[in-house]
Order: sequence, then structure tokens, then C-alpha cells
Amino acid sequence: MQTVILIIISLLIIPVLAAFIKKVKALLTGKQGPPLLIKYYTLVKLFAKGSVYSTSTTFIFRFMPVVALAAPLMALLFLPLAGAPALLSFAGDAILIFYLLGLARFFTVCAALDTASPFEGMGASREAFFSVLSEATLFMVLVLFYRINGSLSFSSYFQGNNPINLWSAEGTLLLLVVAALFMVLLAENARVPVDDPATHLELTMIHEVMILDHSGPDLALIELGAWTKLYFYAAFIANIMTPIYPGKPWATALVFLLIIVFIYFAVGLVESITARSKMNLVPKFILTSFSFAFFATILTMELTR
Amino acid sequence: MNPFFFSLLCIVLGGPLALLFHNNSKFGKLLPVMAISGGSLGGLVTALQHFTAPQPPTAEFLWLDWFPLAFRLDPLSAFFLVPVFGIALLAAIYSFDYLDNPAKGLRTAANYFFFSLLIAAMGLVVCADNILALALAWELMSIASCFLVLYDYELKENRQAAYIFFIFTQAGAMFLFAAFGLLYAQTGSVSLAAAAGLSDGLKLTFFLLCFIGFGSKAGIFPLHIWLPHAHSAAPSHISAFMSGVMIKMGIYGIVRFYFLLNVESVVYGQIVLFAGIISGVLGIIYAAGQNHIKRMLAYSSIENIGIILIGMGMGMLGAAAGKKELAFWCFTGALLHVLNHAIFKSLLFMGAGSVIHGTGTAAIDRLGGLMKGMKFTGIAFLTGALSICALPPFNGFVSEFLIYSGAFSGSSFEGWDFILAALAIVSLAVIGGLALLCFTKAVGTVFLGEPRTVQAEKVHECGRCMRLSMTLLACFCLVIGLFPAIVVEPLAAVTGALLKTNDIPMGDLLAFCDNITLGAILFLGLTIVLMILRSWLYRGKQVDAAPTWGCGFTRATPRIQYTGTSFAAPALEFFGPVAPLREEYTGLDGPFPKPSSYQSKPQDLAEETATIGVALPIFRALKRLRWIQHGNIQLYIAYIVVAIILSILITFLV
Amino acid sequence: MIPLVDSLLALVFLTVLFSLNCHRLLGLIRIMAIQGIIVSLIPFLLEKPEGTLLVNVGVLLVIVIVKGLIIPGMLLFAIRKVQIRKEVEPIISYNASIFIGLLVIYVSVLISGRMHLTALSSYPLLLPAAFTALAAGLFLLMARRKAITQIIGYLMMENGIYLAGAVLAKHARTQHIVEFGILLDLLVGVMIMGIILHRINHSYDDADTTFLEQLKD
Repeated sequence: MQTVILIIISLLIIPVLAAFIKKVKALLTGKQGPPLLIKYYTLVKLFAKGSVYSTSTTFIFRFMPVVALAAPLMALLFLPLAGAPALLSFAGDAILIFYLLGLARFFTVCAALDTASPFEGMGASREAFFSVLSEATLFMVLVLFYRINGSLSFSSYFQGNNPINLWSAEGTLLLLVVAALFMVLLAENARVPVDDPATHLELTMIHEVMILDHSGPDLALIELGAWTKLYFYAAFIANIMTPIYPGKPWATALVFLLIIVFIYFAVGLVESITARSKMNLVPKFILTSFSFAFFATILTMELTR
Repeated sequence: MNPFFFSLLCIVLGGPLALLFHNNSKFGKLLPVMAISGGSLGGLVTALQHFTAPQPPTAEFLWLDWFPLAFRLDPLSAFFLVPVFGIALLAAIYSFDYLDNPAKGLRTAANYFFFSLLIAAMGLVVCADNILALALAWELMSIASCFLVLYDYELKENRQAAYIFFIFTQAGAMFLFAAFGLLYAQTGSVSLAAAAGLSDGLKLTFFLLCFIGFGSKAGIFPLHIWLPHAHSAAPSHISAFMSGVMIKMGIYGIVRFYFLLNVESVVYGQIVLFAGIISGVLGIIYAAGQNHIKRMLAYSSIENIGIILIGMGMGMLGAAAGKKELAFWCFTGALLHVLNHAIFKSLLFMGAGSVIHGTGTAAIDRLGGLMKGMKFTGIAFLTGALSICALPPFNGFVSEFLIYSGAFSGSSFEGWDFILAALAIVSLAVIGGLALLCFTKAVGTVFLGEPRTVQAEKVHECGRCMRLSMTLLACFCLVIGLFPAIVVEPLAAVTGALLKTNDIPMGDLLAFCDNITLGAILFLGLTIVLMILRSWLYRGKQVDAAPTWGCGFTRATPRIQYTGTSFAAPALEFFGPVAPLREEYTGLDGPFPKPSSYQSKPQDLAEETATIGVALPIFRALKRLRWIQHGNIQLYIAYIVVAIILSILITFLV
Repeated sequence: MIPLVDSLLALVFLTVLFSLNCHRLLGLIRIMAIQGIIVSLIPFLLEKPEGTLLVNVGVLLVIVIVKGLIIPGMLLFAIRKVQIRKEVEPIISYNASIFIGLLVIYVSVLISGRMHLTALSSYPLLLPAAFTALAAGLFLLMARRKAITQIIGYLMMENGIYLAGAVLAKHARTQHIVEFGILLDLLVGVMIMGIILHRINHSYDDADTTFLEQLKD
């Protein structure tokens, strides 16, 4: 029951949180910024519209928005929130989820190539390449988690005898993991310094350029999928960071929400104070996150001896 | 064993029939196709019956009154027979429409002749129970496949490909024969089971010799050099069969001899795992760089062999460490991947064949937009691509998931084994990511967008038989992905027999399959709900068609599209140290520049090293001996006489 | 709660990794300053040092100021004075450097695991950190072109020695004496390097160690 409520709350605040980053960026540059409900207005606007499809496109282009939303929604079903067990869980669901996100990426990339636009091809190429490196980081983190916790599903990571928690004995390592996952979050969700969601030049985009030709409800579904994916990664990190107060689920939930807000704030902060990297420096950025994860794994060999 | 031999006989009969009727183009094809598919179907049924047979049937012959040949159909052989006969059946059906040039009647007949020989030889390879039978069947398989590569022998590169293939297959066989010789010298027995009686040091030598010999057939890096050449030269149904099944014979050999040796050292697992990681990662990097669609698929076969070896290597490590469960998961995953790869790689090669048939070119960068003209092939290829990227809900995911599950429990190893296990997991993830890049490139450049050349504009969809084969394979991909229990359950029996254990964690395994089914069905359900929602959102809305927005650029031509080469360029640049790119750019100069050209070709490290470090020095050394070959027949005969006298003298003196 | 020393040591590892893939000189110097401060804190957290609190705090302050402020400050000053370009100019690429850094960490963990120092059982990361800093410093000396990165390499090696000293010295005080000796050497070294840099810059218009090759016979 608690989980269902939490998922509904999550779904409701996902657009608000996405707008929150904009707000943070605006406030940090001394502007007022858009209202927090701006993404809702965007959704309503897009849902009300029709679409224009390129004559070059095929059914893949129309199918992609559905997959791009379904995969992150599935991820949300398997992710425990605020100490409450996930709605569904089985051994190895972490692998399934990351591969489903891969499926969404497959269709996003294909839909971009479907438009025959060179700019979309450019974005697709970058997306496909950079995700190779972030996947390496993610699976390194999973290896570490297995070594600490002995399980392979999101639910059991954060429960049982040896939960993965920043405030436990393995905190030092998990600090590194949190840093690595945050970098992956930035890379996978097209944020600065990997990609700039607010840039105006198609040549320099990654995610935004791939969906240039989508419009109307299709675009709305894609945007919703992108926000959900961002929330999934943020909630994943927040689960590691949230201290568990036994017997007080709502206190945990509150702290969890605060930490999520903090993560979104951190995204906005990073976006305000750093410039986006040159494209050839992006692999280095993601590799750094891999090195964190790998390094933390090496340390387990020392610490658990 | 009799039904099995009858099936082989039926298959082999197809060859002479084809040669007999080669003048009649329809009939000359129909007969061998019927014979091969009928025989394969019979073989398939026999194989399926022997999955769990308690007492494997055996057969023995005395060949030329001297050489004993023994055959045995145990669960492992039965399992490997399934892709052999299954893919042979579909490839034969496919070939009926694919080989449709009446001018090449005799050649087509010869193709069927060697094809039937190849199938029969493979059937014998997996059933051979002594080294003589294995060596005989192995050579038959090698020679038949060499001739199959030579189908389009007018092209110089095809002759070259067959030549390289021949060298590699014979050199690999030499290693095998060395191993067999060692076995016979030490134990005095020709039976395969005698391998268990070798001493520990010799076991390692024996295994290494076998690993090189079988590895060169499987296409393990750096013994894979022949593979991209041969697979791109052969006709597509042959490429499908070779890539889907023949290279698995190498895997079969490694599995068979590993279990026959009955060893407990971790070294074996480490060797295999390391080879798997290298082949997997390098294979897919090279695949991403290819522009010839069949070469790309060939390199991706090397990658999949790598995945299978990763699974087997982890299994061997687990078996050596006494972790039965881990070994069980990993071996089951590896074997399932053998089957899965046979299915989706054949599907992809058949799709590629259909593209080549329909457009006349195999260059990825010259195609484009085929999804409109060849929608069926497009969807089939897309299914294959999704499966090979190991994406749920398709079959590739199931086997990789099994290997992952096993490999993650390898995280509890210590020291080097742990690092190897962690590297294996990360390299599986990287392979997955790169496979996605490689196959989005293939699907996106070949089937999506706008046609880049005239060839890609004037296309025709493939024939009915080709479509039938591809439909069946695509259905298998989806069905295994959705309901893995149907294949995992019988496979578990095979793995149990291999590991000589009775306590198969069948409950865990079935729960595992149910989980995959649950995940896949949930996802499909969610997708369908969202599709309904989407169509509801579009109800009564205005939907227009217009050209793609060119971002302000108004004179776009199809040539402006991102090519496959440029799509893969950033990744290739990153992996430059292991996959160097040779570029040739003529450049523009002077006030009236001539037309310039740019060429890029990804270099295969192993091929470069082998050419520069081995082949050329040997060539140079042998050039000095050219004077021996001068063309004088009398002198040649003198050589023979001298050789005979020398050998007689040696026998007498020693 | 998160153990403090382990976390600080993990941060040392991180600074090593960051320094290997840092592409800006200013950033590199900043990282070295942070590393210097963390490294100088560690010996005082290991166990209750002998001597009065005042002396200890005094020593700590001096080391922190030298490592964290004076040396980086001088490097910054040198950059500004000589007007070196801001790129690090690697000989071995950043991506490869990261992998080499990971390899170095792994090997240091292996080596220190072999050494079985019982005194260290409560701080398992200390020795690996020392080895890593030493080896990574050496690597920076090899793999970067600029003269100023050479100094930074030496600095990192010195940090490694300092950590190793913290491991090995039984008495905190004798350690300080050794440490002060090294620190003094280094300080003089940095000054001389600064002057040489100035000279190189005057003669060759660029402070690049490859130009030094022209000095050979």
C-alpha cells in the first residue's frame, strides 16, 4: 500500500522536479524562473496538439515514444522507494531494468536515424557511444553491490542483513558509488557537462536533437519518459543515501524526498556553475565515474579481508 | 543410432540428385532441398528424443578393415545436433529462392552437394566417439565448407577468402591432430574417453592444443582472421549456416574435451575466460567499424563466441572452485547462447542475403530506406538485431541473463579470479552497449532514412521461401525470449549430465524463467496500454506529412544523411589503440583541384600482425627456395626418387 | 557512521585519479593543494600523538600551510609569471591515464596485502594510498610534457612518502623531523624549479621539457 502511494506521489512530482532544475538554474543566475508547474502546462499543451510526421519515417518513428516511456515506467515498478519494498521484484531485476532502458535507447537511436536528418544522426551516434561507457560504470556498481550485499535486485539491495546504505560500515565505498552514479545520472539524462538541454545549436546536442522531429502527444510521451528516467536514477541514488528509521516509514519517506530534491538541486547547481565539456572530453568524464566504481570495488578486496 | 544415420544418408543423397538434374533449374533445386530438409527434420526429431535418454546409443564400424570408427549420441551431442539440423533445414528452404540464377545451374548443384556433405559431416563431428572418427568428420567438414565459400569464384577476393580459410582450417586441424597424437602416444587408445587418463601436465598441453585447434574453427581472437573473409564470400544461406552452426563445432570441441579431461585446476577456466573477454570486446569493436554488412555480421559472430566463452570460462572457474550452482548457471547460459546465436545470427545473415538479393550491394553506406521497399526483411532484420543486442523480450537476453546471474555469484571469488569475474561482467555490459551501437548502425543505415543510392531505391522484396525461413527464425527469437522455460528445462538436463550431478536446481531455474516471462509480459502489456493511450490521444487530431526539418538547411539531399561510418566514428576513435583506422584522403590543392576522395578502413590488429609478422617473412624465406620449382619434369621425378631413397635409408639406419 | 580516516584516504585516491585525468594546470594545482591538506591531516588522526597539544597543533598548522598554501601558491605564481598555457599536454592520453591509475591502485592494494603489517590492521587503506601516490607521481613525471607538471609529480611522490612515513614511524615526533627535512628540500626544489622555468621560458619561449632535449651533446 505504502509503495503504491509512493509511486503515485512520485509520478505526480516527476514533472515538478524536472521544472525544479530550471528554477534552480534561474534563481542562481538571479532570474525569477518559470513556475514549478511549467512542465504540466507543457504536457497539456502538447497533448492537445496534432503531429507532423516526416515523409522519410517509418513505423519505428511512431513506435519509439511508447517504448521510451514504457521502459522507465517499468524501472519505477521495480525500484523500492524510501525504504518501502518495491512493487515487484525478483533476483536479477536490476539487469532486466538496465537492459530495458537499453531497449528504449535502441528505439530512440533508430527513430533518430529514421528521419534521415544528419543532425539527428549525429546525436544518435553520440548517445549510442556514450551509453557504452555509462553501462560499464553501472555494471561495475552492480558488481560492488553484489559483493557487499550478495543480491541482484533493487529491492534486496536496500533491505536484509547488509543493506547498501551510506550510513553503514561500507559508507566510504558508497560515497564513491554515489559520486559515480551521479556522474552516470548526468551522462544518461543528457545534463551538463555531457549535454546541455538548453543549448540552441543542433550540432552540439545529444538527446534533444534526436527528438527534433517528434511533435504533439509523441513528444509529450518522450519528455515524460525522459523525466521518469531522471527520477529513476535520482531515486536510485537517494535510496543509497537515505538513513533508515525503523518503525517510522513516513519519516524515512520525508527524508527520502528531501534527498531527491537535493539531488535535483545538485543537478541544477552543476548546470549553473560548470560549462559543458567538449565532445571529446565526455568519454573522459564517464570513464572517471567508471574509475570510481572500479576503485571502490578494488577497495572491497582490502576492506573485507 | 540407426534413425540418425538414415537422416544423414537422406541428406547426403540430395547432393548427387542435384548434380544429376542440374540442367533443370526448378527440379534441380527442389530435389536437394527436399532431401536436405527431410533428412534434417528426421535428424532433428532424433536429436530431440535423445536429450534425456539414460543410455546413449552407440555405433561402431571398422573402416578399411583397419580403422575403428565409433559414434555415440549423448545429451551434449543431441543438443548440438539441434542447431545443426534446425538451421540446415531453414537454410535449405531459404536457398530455394536465394539461388535463383538459372545460368549458374551446375554451380548451384555443386553448392547443394557440398552443403549436404557439410551437414552430414557436422552431424558426425558431434557424435564422434573416437579420435579417428572425429578427425575424419572434421576434415570432411573443413573441405566441404571451403568449396562452399568458392561459390562466386570469379571474384578474386572470394578465391582469396577461400585460400585464407583453407590455410586456417588446415593449420587448426594440425593442432588437433597433434593433440590426438599425444593422446594416442600416451594412452594407446583411440577412444575420446581415454583423455581422462593423461597426467596433469599433459592434460594442460592437450587442452591447449585442442583449444587452439577448435578455437581457430570457432573464431577466437586472434585465430579469427579467416572468418570475416569466408563469411562475406559465401552465399548468404551458407554464411548463415557457417556462422550460426559451423563455428559452434569449435565450441563443441572445447566443451567436450574440457569435461572429458575431468580437471580441477582453475587455469583452464582462466584461459577460456580471458580468451572470451578479448574475443568478445574486440569482435564487437571491429564489427562496429565494418561497412560490408556480412563482414559486420561475421565480426559480431566473433563477439558472440566471446560471450559463449565467457559463460564457459566462468562455469569452469566455478566448477574448479566447487561452486556447482555457479557452474550450472554459466554452462546453461553458454549452451543456450549457442542455440540462440544460431537462431538470430542465421536470421540476420538471411536478412542480409535478402538485402543483397534485393539491391545488389552489401555496402552499408550505399543503402538506406529499405524499410519502405522491403518491409518484411526490415522487420525480420530488426528482430534479429534486437535479439543479438540481448534486449528483452527476445532470446539473446535470456542466455546473457543466465550468464550474468552465474557471473555475479563469481563476485565472491578472491584475488585474480574476482578481478576476472568483475572484468567479465563489465565486458559483457560493454559488449551489450557496443552491440547496440553496431546494430543500430546496421538497422538505421540500411533500413531507415532515405535511400542513399539508386541501388537502394529500386529494390524488390525477397521470395516466399526466404520469407518462410526468416519468419520461423524470428518467431523462435520471440518465443524463447517470452517463454524461456521450454528450452531452458531440457537444456538443464544436458548441463546436469555434463557436470555429472543429479541435484539440478530446477526449481530456481524455473523460477528464473518465470521471472523473465513475467518481466517480458509486463513490459509488453505496458507497451500495449501506452499504444492504446497514444492512439486515444491522436483521436480526431490533425496529422500531417512533411519533409524532415533540416535545421534551417533547405537543400538537403539523401547524401547528407549520417552514414554508418560516421555513426560509428566516435566509438572507433575512442577504441583507436586496438582498432586502428587506416585513412586515405587525397585532399584538394591548387586553384583547380581535381576530384578528391576519402577512404577509411578499420584495421584488424590480428590480421595486420599475422600479415606483417608471419605471412610476409615466410613468403620472403620461401622465395629463396623458388629455384627448386623450375618446371623440368625429369628433375621433379629425380626429387621423388631421392626422397624415397632417403626415407628408406633413414628407416634402415635408425 | 562513516570512518573518518578511511574516508580521507579514499579522498586521497580520488585526488590521484583526478590528477591523472585533469586537463587543466590550474585544476591540477588545486587538486594537489587539496591532496596536500588531506595527507598532512592523516598522521594526526591515526593515533594519539605524544607531546603536548600545542606542539602538535603547531606542527600540523605548519605542514598544512606549507603543503596546502605555500607550495600551490608558488606554483600558481610561477604559472602566472611565466605565462604557461593552461593545457596539461599529456604524452599518454587521459583515458589511458585513468586505466593506468586504476591498475596502479590495484597493484598497490595487492602489494600492501602481501606485506602483512600487523600495526596497520585497523587502517587497511593507508599503505595502498601511500604506494598509489608514489607510483602515480612517478607516472605523472613520465606521462606529462610540461616542466610544471614534473614538479607536481614530485609533489605527489612526496605526499606518498609522507603517508608511508606516517605508517612506518613509531614515534610521531621523529617522523616530523624527517618530514620537515623532505618538505624543506621540496620547498627549495620548487623555488629552483621556478627559477629554471623562468630561464627556460626566456630562452625557448615555452616551458616544455621536450626542449631540454636540445641541451644534450
